[in-house]
Amino acid sequence: MLNRKHSPAGQFGSAAVESIFAMVFIIVLLLGVVQVAFVLYARNVVAASAHEGARAIVERGSRSDDAASVALATVRGSAGGLVDDLRVGVDLQGENAGAVTVVVSGRVKSFGPVPFPIPLTSTATSTREVGLP
Amino acid sequence: MIETVLLGLILIVPLIWALGVLGALQRGALAATAAAREAGLDAARATDAASADRAVVAAVATAFRNQGLDPKEARVRWTVGSRFARGAAVEVEVRWPVTVLQAPLLGEVSGPSVWVEARHVARVDLYRSRP
Repeated sequence: MLNRKHSPAGQFGSAAVESIFAMVFIIVLLLGVVQVAFVLYARNVVAASAHEGARAIVERGSRSDDAASVALATVRGSAGGLVDDLRVGVDLQGENAGAVTVVVSGRVKSFGPVPFPIPLTSTATSTREVGLP
Repeated sequence: MIETVLLGLILIVPLIWALGVLGALQRGALAATAAAREAGLDAARATDAASADRAVVAAVATAFRNQGLDPKEARVRWTVGSRFARGAAVEVEVRWPVTVLQAPLLGEVSGPSVWVEARHVARVDLYRSRP
């Protein structure tokens, strides 16, 4: 009652409104931080999946299907639905020898203040034993 | 309102820093694990100790480059049993320093670092033809 008596007219509740604005700003910032965390995690998962795919070709044979299925399974198993539009490219560089290169690309879903999905690409190379089929 | 926003920003800065370090730690751990595994398998397929050593160095460099990291900073140690022969166990240990003073988009500065470590043991094929 005392405060109301001394408050200038038309300023009742202004602190609450300002708090709400501040809270909205901070929540948007926090969502941005969470999104950065998810992008960092997704980048690491995609890089690991490319390596797993390249390794699969070396271990299991020379079929590019193996690399694609292993890479996709790694991303889905580790990141769930966080990364979509996944594509896997495989470069075998010859039949029996040389390097195996796997490129995994995808997009991290957007749910924070960034209004668009963030693209990710990772390349992994592994060496095959010369002479093995 | 200004005080609240400033306080929020001040609280978020260490959060972003922690995120960057955790991301770098995970990346380093993945790279070290991949490097140790690749190096172990490649060394086990080599024909002698000298070529195994070259294979380890090359595999570690490739694995770190795949993760976008500089392989020069990695510490690699590999050992084989009594001699490099069929059935011998090749053990590769890879260590990588993750700099603590860094932030996303800002990069890293020199300072204290946390070492991540990975180890892999591969066995030379018992029935492998060797020169």
